[in-house]
Formats: sequence, structure tokens, C-alpha cells
Amino acid sequence: MPLDIDRFAHVGSPLQRWDPRFKLAALGVLVVAVALIKTIPVAAAALIGAVVLVSLACLPASFVSQGVKWVSLFLLPFLLIMPLSYPGEAAFHILGLPFAWEGFRLAVLIVVKALAIVLFAYAMFGSSRFDISMIALQHLKCPKVIVQMLLFTYRYIFVFLAEMRRMDVAMSARGFVKRADRRTLRVMGDFVGTLLVRSFERTERIYKAMLSKGYQGEFHTLVVFNATSKDLVKAVLILLGAALLFGVDVAGIFNRAELGWY
Amino acid sequence: MHISDGILSGPVLAAGFVGTAVIAGLTLRNMDMEEIPKVSVITAVFFVASLIHVPVGPSSVHLILNGLVGVVLGWRAFPAIMLGVILQAILFGHGGVSVIGANCVMLGGGALAAYGVWQLRHWFSLERKEVIFGALAGGSATLVSGMVLSLALVTTGEQFLVMAGAALAAHIPVMIIEAVVVGAAAGFLAKVRPHILAGNTAPALLGRPSA
Amino acid sequence: MADDVAINVEDVYFTYPDGHDVLRGVSCRLRQGEKVALIGPNGAGKSTFMSLLNGVELPSRGRVSVSGMDVKKDTLTAVRRKVGIVFQDPDDQLFCPTVFDDVAFGPLNLGLPPNEIHARVTESLALVGLTGFEARSSFHLSFGERKRLALAAVLSYQPDILVFDEPSTNMDPLNRRRLISWLQSSERTMLLCTHDLDIALDVCSRCIVLVDGVVVADGPSKEILYDRKLLEANNLELPLALMTHELLHEKLRSGEMDGEHRRIIESFLHAHRHSHGPDQHEHVHLHVHPHGHEHLHDHPHGDHVHHLEYGGHDHAPGVAEDGEAKPGAQIRYVPVSKKK
Repeated sequence: MPLDIDRFAHVGSPLQRWDPRFKLAALGVLVVAVALIKTIPVAAAALIGAVVLVSLACLPASFVSQGVKWVSLFLLPFLLIMPLSYPGEAAFHILGLPFAWEGFRLAVLIVVKALAIVLFAYAMFGSSRFDISMIALQHLKCPKVIVQMLLFTYRYIFVFLAEMRRMDVAMSARGFVKRADRRTLRVMGDFVGTLLVRSFERTERIYKAMLSKGYQGEFHTLVVFNATSKDLVKAVLILLGAALLFGVDVAGIFNRAELGWY
Repeated sequence: MHISDGILSGPVLAAGFVGTAVIAGLTLRNMDMEEIPKVSVITAVFFVASLIHVPVGPSSVHLILNGLVGVVLGWRAFPAIMLGVILQAILFGHGGVSVIGANCVMLGGGALAAYGVWQLRHWFSLERKEVIFGALAGGSATLVSGMVLSLALVTTGEQFLVMAGAALAAHIPVMIIEAVVVGAAAGFLAKVRPHILAGNTAPALLGRPSA
Repeated sequence: MADDVAINVEDVYFTYPDGHDVLRGVSCRLRQGEKVALIGPNGAGKSTFMSLLNGVELPSRGRVSVSGMDVKKDTLTAVRRKVGIVFQDPDDQLFCPTVFDDVAFGPLNLGLPPNEIHARVTESLALVGLTGFEARSSFHLSFGERKRLALAAVLSYQPDILVFDEPSTNMDPLNRRRLISWLQSSERTMLLCTHDLDIALDVCSRCIVLVDGVVVADGPSKEILYDRKLLEANNLELPLALMTHELLHEKLRSGEMDGEHRRIIESFLHAHRHSHGPDQHEHVHLHVHPHGHEHLHDHPHGDHVHHLEYGGHDHAPGVAEDGEAKPGAQIRYVPVSKKK
């Protein structure tokens, strides 16, 4: 699973050249609109839009599909559980369980929307360097403390992943095999505890290093954004798209996928 | 454990974001310059540790550890969970961008509940009480998160009633796993570095923020 | 106090909140431009000592001053501008999203104007050979690159005094060699806390031995690092370079070998010296202290000091003052093959 979402952020594309502040704001609104969609045809249109955006971002399909694969794995049970558990009249029975088309339609709607949003997230965060996206969020009034902490956490995820792998290797080298038993769980507890002890010591050292470089509680950045009218035009286009999806959905041109769901 | 995009209704999503903003505002109060790097780095550990898979029968589940976050970070557990949820949404599309609020309330609520349970240990004098209360905290974190999840589903629509029940039932094995792992980790830390654990002095009044 | 004192530490004690005494009355003084090695076994208090120098920790008792300025709460900003600490693990010091941000972190805290910051970042990266790495993420760099980047991140705010914690650990030989030549060429005041006594021998003219929070020896490197008795009594050992030389000299001196054998040892001594000294010269002179020679091998723990001269390197530490040894006592090695 790729942890560096910005691995292809250097690839030149219309999305990459888009001022991240405008990109995140406009696509953020679009994501909210998509999350509120209640009819399948509109959701499908959103999914097509998402595919178009991701291809505009020039992200390799293999890279995006890794994320999509995970989400699909999580969503598949919905296609099974929803139709069989939907209250109301059953169209037919499978192994004695009532199958409702409404439930199936609801499940399809959920899956389509979720896929669209995941793809939008790739377009949003896959086309700018992670730290730039975060600073853009700060410009969009996301609290400074949170942005700074996100940057820190992101940085150290990679350090601890490497550390965890080393500890894992050391454990296997001494013949430890994970099993479904209590001992495994206790060993995992000790493992996490050890990881925590080490990282606490590391936080002390990081803080010392920061202090000795003059840290006084403030983080400064030299990143400046320069928006042009092009950036604005792109944002307006996306917002129009969002309004269109939302409008068509609310106007009820297509039948709602389910009853009583608002 | 997380809720995916596309399931919850607008009002529930909005409630998630509002709830997250309010709780984050409260739990981020008086954050000093030393805590910013420290809480973030510990968050990174939990993020990585939650990628650990443990076998359950023929399948495996990954650890949640939100209970341990509560046991270690106390009130700061909520912002820590929030960072983790935001990063998961951005990096994996795991519980996507639209459900960040709901997922924060679900997992962070569990973490705060765990901290509450953990603090109860000051009222008891038992052998190895860190293991016992660590386990209780780990288990209750999962339980509370499961309940928030079910609540969010049921509020979204009655079609999710069965789904909500199934989700709650599926949390029982997870709860046991979390209880054992968090109990072991809390016991380990109490033995090796007790100062890492949150709330080492008994609070004057349970539930009052204490550093 | 003399103007040329860079660091002055007077009778410093440091006790951790848990009551553990780490430093118990340490005093020392570093002159401007002096390069000093701080050596000692694990847990001797070296890291704590380093933390005192720029006020990351404040002493429980005693006084630390930097360039005549007392280290205390209200001078911390000024002190930290003067003293740069390069810590051991680069991952503890590279906490920013990109290489640029890490190197710019210090200058940004100083509130410098943007063009000045850009200039400093470019310059510091060039100094450590990482030009063009600005937009990379530090976690994608190799260990050696990260170690150099950690140095650049300290150099960028231009401290007068550089303090290193284990500068050479886990470095591959080439990176280590480059680091040594950089350290040798820099004019800054330096304190190297290290277990790598060979680097201490190569770079530092003076050596302080800290054991259990007390300075047990402070003097020229060529005395302390050659003092087997002192080093071994404190869980340290002779620098590898000296150990090997001592061993081979003993062989040569005993003379129980044929000419072929002798030639092999001589060429080894030469080659070995090449891996420990600046490599821009063709001739190597190995001067043996004329009157100490006999004693040296018979009594390795004696007071006499084995002087080595790294030929062609005029200001190298460890240069024997009495290089004009008597012809009979001087062993002269002519290189078997020249440097590539």
C-alpha cells in the first residue's frame, strides 16, 4: 500500500499546475456534493467525472488502483448485506433470505459514490506535494497547530514503519510466528509497548534538536502561492459541476434509489 | 475500523464534522510548544502500529489501538486520533475525505472513553491493575466506537438497522483482541516506563482535564 | 576572561529529576578555533554535557558560558545562535517535509529575510555535497545523505561553535573519510563527542576524557590517545590506527623475519596510513621517537608517547615536535605504489 500519496506530484498536469488552495477548496466542495447524492445516475456521472479528473492528473493507473482496491474490498460486503437486510417487500428469496431490489440499488449507490470520492481524493492530494497541500489547507483556515502536527506525523510514519519492520524481522529471526492465540496478542502488546518506549525517547531527542535550532513554538514557511485567473477558472468549472450534480439530484429528475433516506 | 464514503446521510456527516471541531477545540486547549512535536510523533507510532495484523481464525484483523492512545495521551488522544483519521483519508482513501468528521468522533470518542476507564484505576488497589484497566480501557474503546458507528448508521436510515447490528456483533472479537493487546501494552509500559502512561496522579475529580 | 575563550564550563553538576547524578563537577575551557574530542564510555555524561552547551538542559549547579555569555534562560536564543549541535541520529533532526525546509528551519527561526534564507540553504547544501536536493523528502535519502543533511541543517544558521555527537557512526568509509577532511579543513571551534577514537586522532588536537560525570584527563590528543593504560582503564582502547602500528612496529623491531616479510609489513604500514591520513602526498615519514623507541615496546603502558607524523600534513594533530629524529632511529617508508 503506498504511503506517499504525493509520489507522482512532480508529474506536470493541469491539476498539478493548479494553485493548491483553489484545487482543495473547489474539489472539497465537489466531494461534499457527491457525498450527498441520492440517485444512481447522478452518482455514476460523478464517478465518470472523477475518472476524468484522475486522468487529467496524469497519475499512473497502477498507483491509483492500489487505493481503489482497498476501498472495493471494504465495500463488497455491502452489495451482499444491503439487499438481504433491506426492510420491506422482497422481490425473491435467496437461501430463504429476502432479496430487495431497493437494498441492492442502495448498495450500488454507496459503492459508486465511495469510489468517486476516493478518486477525487487522489486528484486532490496526488497532484501536489504533501507539505504544499497541507500549507494550502492552512491558507484555507485549517488551524495551524493541526497542519503542523499533520506534517510531523506524516514525516515520522516512515521512520516508525522502518523501525517496526526491523523489530518484526528481529522477532521472526528468533522464531516468533503469529498465531490466533493469547500469547500472540500479549507479544503484540509488548511489541507496541516497545515501539512506544523507543518513540518517546525519540520525541525527547527531536525536541532537543528543535530547541537547539532556535525553535520557539512557531513554524515558518517560505511557500507562497500565486493564483492567476486560470486557477480561478478551473475552480469555477469544478464548482459548476458540483452545483449541476447537486441540482439534478435534488430536482429528482431520476428516481431516488431508496425510500425514506434523507 | 472506519466508515466509508457514500454511506452516511448529509446531516450525520455534518454532525460528525461539528462534533469533531468541538471536541478537538476542547482537547487541543493549552497545547504548548513541546507537545506539538511530541503528540504528533506518538501519533505516527499509533498510525504505524494500527497497520499490524493479527490472525483471527483463518482471517486477520488489524489493530485499532484507539484505547491505547487514550491510555497514553489522555485528553490529547482526540487530536491524535484526528490526525490519524485525516492521514488515512488522504493517504489511503481509507474512510474517505467526506467521513473524516464521523470517523474522528467514532474512534476519538472511543479513545476518550478509554481514558476515562483508565483513570478509574486510581480507585482500586489491585495487583497488576495496569493490565486489568488497560484491558478494560482497550475493550471499552472498541465498544464505544462500535456503538457510535451503529448510531451513525441507524440515524442515517432504518435500512441500516441490520447492518448496524451486524457491525456491533463484528466488534465483539475485535474488542477481545484490543483488550488483550492494550492490557499487555499498558502492563509493559507500567513496568518499563510508567511516566509514558497518562494520568499517573489521581485526578481530584474524575473527568476533569489533568495534565 | 580571555577573549578567545569559546566555551567555558565551571564546576558543573547535573542531576536528573530522578536523582541520578550525571555530571559531578565538570570544568573545561575551549579556545576559539580549537578542535576537541570528548571521549568516554557509555553513560559517562557526554550527551548531557553537550545539551548544556546550548541550553537544551541547564546545569543544576555551576556555570556554562559561550563566547563570554552565560547560558541561562534569557540568553538561550543568543547562545543557540552561537552553538550548533549535530546529533547522532539524523532522523531526530530532520523533521521537516523536505530537504529545503529542514535546512531552512534554523534560519527561519532567526527571522532572516527570504533571499538570505535561500542563499544559506544553497550554500549549506553545497558544503555537504547535496546541491539540488532541495525538493526531496529527507526520508527518501540514504543514511549517509541524511547524516550530511543533518550537518547542513546546522551549518545553515552559521554557528561559531559546532558540537557533534558521534559524527561518524554508521557511515560508510567513503562518507566517513569525506567528513574527516571536512572537519579538518573547517576553521570553527569544534567539540566531537565520539567513541571513534581514530576520528578524534585525525581531527582533534586535544582530548577530554569524561568518566562517570568527572573529567579524568584533559590534554593533547597525542598524549591521551596514545595512553593505553588510561584508555583501557576507562573501557576505551587505543585508536585502531595506533594499535596496528604498534603491533607491526613490534614485529619489525623484533627482526625475526626475512626481507620479503619485512617488505610486506612495510607496505602494509604505508597503505594503512593512507586510509588514516590526508591522501594528497606521495611520501610518508614515520618518525619514531628516538629515545622512546626502546621503551615503547618493552613497556607499552609507560609514559613515553609514540609520535606519528602524517607526512606532508604540516598542521596535522599528533605531529611530533621533534620530527628531526636521529637517522638511526628513523624508519622511512617509501610508498610501494602511488595513490591512484
